[in-house]
Amino acid sequence: MATVDLEFAEQLEHFGVDTASECFNCGTCAAICPLIYEHFPRKIIRYAQLGAKDVILREADELWRCLHCGLCTYTCPREANPGELILGLRRYVIANWRGTAHVQT
Amino acid sequence: MANTRKEIEMEREPKIGVYVCQCGGNISDHVDVEKVCERASKIPGVVVARENMFMCSDPGQDLIIEDLKSGTVDRVVVASCAPDLHELTFRNAVSRAGKNPYIYEHANIREQVSWVHHGDGATEKASRLVAAATAKAKYIQPLDPIRVEAKQHAVVIGGGISGMRAAKDLAERGIRITLLEKSPFLGGRAAQLDRLAPTGEKASDLITELTREVLNHPAIAVYTNAEVTNSEGYVGNFRLQFQRRPPDSAEDLDKIKEMVESGTEFGEFIPLVGICPAKIPEKIEEYTIEAGVILLATGFKPYSPRKGEYGFGEFKEVVTLPEFIKLMARSRRNGKVLEINGKEIKSVAMIHCVGSRQIPGVHEEDETGHLNEYCSRTCCTAALQAANTVRDTYPGTRVFDFYRDIRTYGRGQEELYERASKNRVLFLRYEPAAAPVVKRNNGSNGYPLSVKVNDTLTFGEEVEVPVDLVVLAVGMEPNNVSNLVEMMKLPVGADRFLLEVHPKLRPVEMSVAGILLAGTCQSPMDTGEACNGASSAAVKTSSLLGRGYVELDPFVAEVDLEKCTGTGACVEACLREEALTLVEMEMDGEKVQRAEVNPALCNGCGACVAVCPENAINIKGWTLRQYEAMVDMIVADDIAVG
Repeated sequence: MATVDLEFAEQLEHFGVDTASECFNCGTCAAICPLIYEHFPRKIIRYAQLGAKDVILREADELWRCLHCGLCTYTCPREANPGELILGLRRYVIANWRGTAHVQT
Repeated sequence: MANTRKEIEMEREPKIGVYVCQCGGNISDHVDVEKVCERASKIPGVVVARENMFMCSDPGQDLIIEDLKSGTVDRVVVASCAPDLHELTFRNAVSRAGKNPYIYEHANIREQVSWVHHGDGATEKASRLVAAATAKAKYIQPLDPIRVEAKQHAVVIGGGISGMRAAKDLAERGIRITLLEKSPFLGGRAAQLDRLAPTGEKASDLITELTREVLNHPAIAVYTNAEVTNSEGYVGNFRLQFQRRPPDSAEDLDKIKEMVESGTEFGEFIPLVGICPAKIPEKIEEYTIEAGVILLATGFKPYSPRKGEYGFGEFKEVVTLPEFIKLMARSRRNGKVLEINGKEIKSVAMIHCVGSRQIPGVHEEDETGHLNEYCSRTCCTAALQAANTVRDTYPGTRVFDFYRDIRTYGRGQEELYERASKNRVLFLRYEPAAAPVVKRNNGSNGYPLSVKVNDTLTFGEEVEVPVDLVVLAVGMEPNNVSNLVEMMKLPVGADRFLLEVHPKLRPVEMSVAGILLAGTCQSPMDTGEACNGASSAAVKTSSLLGRGYVELDPFVAEVDLEKCTGTGACVEACLREEALTLVEMEMDGEKVQRAEVNPALCNGCGACVAVCPENAINIKGWTLRQYEAMVDMIVADDIAVG
């Protein structure tokens, strides 16, 4: 079960993500993605909307599957920029690894 | 057994034209239309039998008009869809050919044949129905519509935005109006709103302006605290009795208290309440008025959730959307976070479809056994408008929106949905059988409630949202007008809203002639749509009253004075008061009692025909003789399907 984190959207802004809420979960990105990997990237974007940080960190590997072809961003009907979202989430994940494993902030 | 061909041939032979419609395959896919025509053409009295792809189209109607004009036919039988739909179309075509529109008979071979039967049986039944119609057509007499003088006065029941809109429009057209409002206040539900979606204009501005126009118009008489107690008469000549009564409902008394406390004058707008135009009556006052048309603008009430539905009535933090709109409008701005009753609201959950789109077996019926299976249409947009207001005004307050489907259907409404996303409203979607659960928060996260849902957008995972306030986007239910329904014999739909004759062809008329619908008494609609409906009803009223008289269908009882012996059986059987009476008249120098019909009141039901021992009374256009001819023809195998 995920509990919604009310502050996560603002936290993500530091990593260059400010369009997550504009996604209306239609799944066009997952349909066009050449990886054809489960519900990528729709599902991880939904977790970002909810602020399910633990799930994002646990399943962070998925973020590095992305080939950065840009098809999802090109086809997104809400112009939520999913490609850029994935990159932002990578930055968030890296910062968190650093934060916990190396440099104390 | 049936009449033989010979017996039927002995009757006088009018020239009957039969016109069979294919309905673009709707009929011809199952009924052999060509065969129906071929059989019809052999029926005695039928001079032509033609088919067409769409008889209701201009070329189809032209076939009929040409045959009438050339004198080829003098009786018309069209076999097509249900008469509801196009009987009037074809009568008008007959009129355009310069003939009496009542020399027309209709056979329904779509709803009663091709949509329900297939194969040879369908063709056979169609043939028999067409044959029966021709048999009836033989005895058709040209009839004249009943003409009744129409009172140039309309009564509008309901002083909300629809009632006032209609009153204003009609008064501009020069028709006198009596506007009756049950409560002490004008403005209805719209007056209780803050800003109207999707445009964002202030409801108070609209209501204030419209009410001023209504109150200042010399042709409009407004009665608040007024309830109709009796209604009789017919289109053009209704007679209504109503009472002004001292208010007794708790809601009205509260509002009056608010008015007195705020020191508001009569005619001034009270925010979120409305306008009280006149002194509250202290005792019952009785009135009687006459009117040509009655407009119903009786409006809606918000669905009232059951105790325990999403925690309503159990947790004080659960409110309905109309309540929330008021709370928000009354709360003072304090910058970042919304504050209600002195409490900071950092997180709001909105739940859609409360009391709408209810599903048998999933939702609980109300105490009368009803489910609101319809979509209330306005709540999605209203909820999103409220969500945007929260986010625009109080950036520190979050909004979570639990929906089944977002139905922002009208112009400018989808934009509200998009804006809500941009405003970081988080949407969660639930299935009706797994609705969100609101529970008291036992954790120490500082939020009194949490809402749990199996969120289909997160692939069915359970998601929990901590909140300070839950807002239920409740649907619309029609106001209880059972007294008017009973009094005026009004048709009501399965959804309990008042029912129009046809949603597209006669959208604001009721089947009781002269009674029209304006606004949300008819179905859920937003303010703009309600005003549309009201203006349509106003236009329809002016066209009804504009000629100074109304024409009614002539299918009413007619007494054959040669046969009538004044038994009075018909008067006793008559269902409509004063439609049928015994009157004294002189016959052969003798004073006798005879039945007399008031054509304007007669429903044409035929109860009198059934009881007359002398067969001295008949319904014009539907005589016993015509019925007999139809039945004989249906069973006349050699003619109908020979």
